[in-house]
Amino acid sequence: MRDNMKKQLSAAAKRKRLQHFFIHAGIILFAGACVYPLLRILTVSLRPGDKLFSTDLSLIPAGATFVSYARLLGDTMFLRWLWNSLIITLATSFIGVSLASTAAYAFSRFRFPGKKAGMILLLSSQMIPAGMLILPLFLMIMKLKLMNTYLGMIIAYSVSSLPFSIWILKGYYDTIPRSLEEAALVDGTSQVGAFWRIILPLSTPALSIAFLFNFTTAWNEYLVARVVLFSSKQYTWTLGLFELQGQYITQWGMFAAGSMLVTIPVLCVFLYSSKWLISGLTLGSVKG
Amino acid sequence: MEILKSIYEVAWFILLIAGGVAVLEGYLYSHFKFYRKPLFEVSALIVFPLLGLLALKTFGLAAPGSYSWLAVSEVLILLFFRFAVKGRHTVPFMLLAPAFVGLALLLVYPFVFEVYLSFHDLKLTTIMMWKNTGTLPFAGISQYVKVFTTSPLSEITFWALLGRTLVWTFSNVFFHVTGGFILALMLNNQIRFKGIYRTLLVIPWAMPQVVAVLAMRGEFHATNGFVNIIITKLLDTLPFLGSLGVAPVQWLSDYPLLTCTLINVWLGIPFMMVVILGGLQSISSSYYDAADIDGASYLQKLRYITLPLIRPVLMPAVTLGTVWTFNNINVIYLVTGQAGGTEQADILVSALYKAAFTYNRYSYSAAFAIVVFAMLFFFSVFYLKTFDAAKDER
Repeated sequence: MRDNMKKQLSAAAKRKRLQHFFIHAGIILFAGACVYPLLRILTVSLRPGDKLFSTDLSLIPAGATFVSYARLLGDTMFLRWLWNSLIITLATSFIGVSLASTAAYAFSRFRFPGKKAGMILLLSSQMIPAGMLILPLFLMIMKLKLMNTYLGMIIAYSVSSLPFSIWILKGYYDTIPRSLEEAALVDGTSQVGAFWRIILPLSTPALSIAFLFNFTTAWNEYLVARVVLFSSKQYTWTLGLFELQGQYITQWGMFAAGSMLVTIPVLCVFLYSSKWLISGLTLGSVKG
Repeated sequence: MEILKSIYEVAWFILLIAGGVAVLEGYLYSHFKFYRKPLFEVSALIVFPLLGLLALKTFGLAAPGSYSWLAVSEVLILLFFRFAVKGRHTVPFMLLAPAFVGLALLLVYPFVFEVYLSFHDLKLTTIMMWKNTGTLPFAGISQYVKVFTTSPLSEITFWALLGRTLVWTFSNVFFHVTGGFILALMLNNQIRFKGIYRTLLVIPWAMPQVVAVLAMRGEFHATNGFVNIIITKLLDTLPFLGSLGVAPVQWLSDYPLLTCTLINVWLGIPFMMVVILGGLQSISSSYYDAADIDGASYLQKLRYITLPLIRPVLMPAVTLGTVWTFNNINVIYLVTGQAGGTEQADILVSALYKAAFTYNRYSYSAAFAIVVFAMLFFFSVFYLKTFDAAKDER
């Protein structure tokens, strides 16, 4: 009897082990497909200049050098492009998060006529194809004489992530108990004071996620930048890399080096924040 | 020096915005506070439109009829506060005002402007006239007629584009969901290295899209791309494959749409995987235990437990994915958009973008955009209706 059970158990364990082997194999195959292009960029960026177009598949190429990196930083305006992207993105995110934080508070804590309509407006604004608004924004920026400037880019970007930011911030404010503010009100602060001194400090995690979301959206944007910026001095890094990859075939190594320099910080930030981003994405829908 | 100058420029702009917000709040506050004082109404009617006109003049936006427009809107605002708001809900409205003014200026107004453009004629020859005078020749519905009768690019028609867009959207979403589902099922086991696998598998999503697409485009290069290198190597080791028709392919010039689809499938699977995995992890294991006792097979468990229970997570993700794929200009433009690029891979939105900015047909592309928006809008409404109906049934 006992032997029989043991046998059954060990057979089940064997089956389980086999199953796990196949799962591991399958996942490793997929994971390879996901990581491999990134590794290839690394390889190309390390290749010496005369071997850029080899059909060699080894990961660390023979005679690996950092020449491409040095040339990228020395000969092109890559640092300038990064700086342009950084300043546009920081300003955009700052404006976006400030506007969203107060609006979300109103949606979270107050009852007022038009509340539901406002929420629906926010959600339905997400349905407008992003590509559709590029043309009118482009013409508006032209009319304001802000073509090829930071300000034009900041204006074009600033509200694009606003609805989403308001949505996740409202979700977070909803989880903060009202009794905290009520205590503060009893102690004699105004409603706005309670928001400023209690709610905002408590919402630092949600605020930073909203900030990161705004940041990555603007940081990776390409299509608006393509039409608003036209001198290479004002380019954001997306335009710069596209030019490196597209126009001069010989700059493939520099393109790869630039890609690595941009991708690594973005990857770290994304992997760190992805959990919250996803919960924000699905929050509204799962509840309803 | 340049860096200091750019910091100065942007800091000045942010101060300007802060000032604008302060002015807006003061304006609203005065209405909330004094909405019943007759003296305030009279002075507001004179002072506020004048200030508005002054602001428009400084930014060079004043048009001949500006003052009367401002005065009319001030009357409307006064009436609104007098009879509808009556000084209530001061705090929430003031908290909301900056965000909604921003959305009105940069989301609603551009939308209205696009509708205006679609009924007028703005192209390269009339753009100077519009810049100087702000007026445009009226075109009626001729732009809309052109959308359906002429090609947005050089040869392809609207209907061909529509068909291609539907194929593109359907095939992408199908592979995203299937791939994501398979990966999520595999990851949802008690296995080692789960965290590492999960991290590696989201890399295509986490990389900046521009980098990911451009790098993948390089991998589809005819001689130096990874895909063709592998095909060549396979042919070297297994020569009989050649007789079966396996050969290196000119991906970018012969099969641009297929290439874009492959790249976009690669990009989109991780998002679906993460969403579905979240759904799978929220299913209580007691359902599966009960099914095991009843002797259910793996497929039965999948069909009768897993699928119905992840539906609430899956459906919104699929809707979102469909809209994203439908609107995906990035992948197609980055793969085919350079000078001399092919139009074999264009879908509606990328043709719209190219018609506006490569061919400079502004009004035409505005009308095109309205048509695309209408299609998307009806799809969403219809879809949400059926989704709600399904929800009620449960």
